[in-house]
Amino acid sequence: MSCSRRNFLTGAGAVIVTTGVAGTAVVSGKSLAYTMEDGQKRYGMVYDETSCIGCTACMDACREVNNVPEGVARLEITRSEAKGEFPNVDYQFNRVSCQHCENAPCVYVCPTGASYKDPETGIVDVHSDKCVGCGYCLAACPYQVRFFHPETKSADKCNFCRDTNLAAGKLPACVESCPTKALTFGDLNDPSSDINKVLATKPVYRDKVHLGTKPKLYKVPHEKGEVKS
Amino acid sequence: MSTWQAAFQFDSLVWDWIIAVYLFLAGMSAGAVMIAIYLKRKVIEGDPAENGIMKAMAWLAPFGIVVGLLILIFHLTKPLSFWKIMIYYNPTSVMSMGVILFQAYLVVLFVWIGIIFRKTIMRFLSGRFDFVDGWLKTFGRFENAIELTLGVMAVVLAAYTGFLLSALKTYPMLNNPVLPILFLFSSLSSGAAACLLFGIIGFKESPTSPSVGWVHKFERPVVLFELFVLVTFFTGLIFSGGQSEASAWFALTGEFWSSWFWWGVVIFGMLTPLALNAFSPKALRHSPLFIVVVTSLSLLGVLMLRTFVLYAGQMTVV
Repeated sequence: MSCSRRNFLTGAGAVIVTTGVAGTAVVSGKSLAYTMEDGQKRYGMVYDETSCIGCTACMDACREVNNVPEGVARLEITRSEAKGEFPNVDYQFNRVSCQHCENAPCVYVCPTGASYKDPETGIVDVHSDKCVGCGYCLAACPYQVRFFHPETKSADKCNFCRDTNLAAGKLPACVESCPTKALTFGDLNDPSSDINKVLATKPVYRDKVHLGTKPKLYKVPHEKGEVKS
Repeated sequence: MSTWQAAFQFDSLVWDWIIAVYLFLAGMSAGAVMIAIYLKRKVIEGDPAENGIMKAMAWLAPFGIVVGLLILIFHLTKPLSFWKIMIYYNPTSVMSMGVILFQAYLVVLFVWIGIIFRKTIMRFLSGRFDFVDGWLKTFGRFENAIELTLGVMAVVLAAYTGFLLSALKTYPMLNNPVLPILFLFSSLSSGAAACLLFGIIGFKESPTSPSVGWVHKFERPVVLFELFVLVTFFTGLIFSGGQSEASAWFALTGEFWSSWFWWGVVIFGMLTPLALNAFSPKALRHSPLFIVVVTSLSLLGVLMLRTFVLYAGQMTVV
């Protein structure tokens, strides 16, 4: 942990601020609704594979801000096999996390309604007290990003820091911590939002769209090789 | 990692063998009820409460569903919160609809068994709880409606075990429209085997009785049709291409689970009982040992089919 934390601090100075305030944000009492006076939002994210350097600062920030125990993760950055020969070696990185589907399979299958899509923000989240731990959503998620939280025993996953950073009026921890600005977060319903600017200027793809899930995690494909979605 | 470990523990695995046992028990319960309803309406002459297969069903059907649900509850990460699943409903969730079905099925099943075995139950209660007799007599007036309702629920329950898995887009082998039909027929085949095993061995139904004769006659087309459904299950996947095709080839020819399928499910679970019943002399077919062997093979075959579908199904992700 200390090693990766160091890595993450050298990667982005801004992170120090983020993690420092994280603890107070939880108890600050500011709700997400507070930041949403101007109507319904539909939050989404762009992950730029051409900018990601695989430093995993986002993973550490996510773990720290959202108190995610070791052994499970809301966010993972995976690295491809090395491409090319030394010294011209290249890697391709990928973000594995909740896609906040418009048609979320986890929400459809949940027997108690514990898994739900917040109508105000479009964020897919879990009511921990309603979850009985049947595992149907873990199996139903085609992106395989859900897990049982070892302490709450509830299904858990990324919720765009809805109850932590976002509630405090900040960007999600992964976005704030990224040293190369590979992540763009924002309201897809707002034509002038940063995310819509990125979507208008860069080629993007989404994973497994043929399933009809309408994911809200967009990816800017790596410059070389085939796009595998 | 050994082959066994790799076959039973892998990253994309969410539901383990407990769920396979539950699917088996729920299916067996539904299958036994469907067969018993037919026997009672069309085959049995005289008091159905005296029939060994009816007696076997009266134990097997509640046992299957109650034990199945109990192991399911203890399989939750929060077993003590299980009641929430009965309070909160989600109409788009197959599981949630299944919970409603289970509760209705259990109630109607107990009432139906109560109507049939009213005298036996009152004898057992020997004077206590006299009001039960009155209740069962009242329910008895609606026996036909209750029976038909239960029959429909048993069919839906058997298919439900398939819908539960076919709702999963993640796994192309499970996300298969044929699965509920396959599980309906495997439920019938396990129900028939369990009724014969416990009816003849446990409740001394004569192996030559009309009821046993009918279940035997019924078994063969059920298993043959089940084999055909298995063929459509896999050809459908193969013709779909992509990960669907990959999942089928893995299940049929890959490591471990293909041997489990061909030997356990097809050869010992389906073809051997079919052949034994078709080619054995009549005297042997009516011996208790023969019946134990054949029905046990069928039951084990169905349990292995459920386990195979569950595990091999979860191995390939879309």
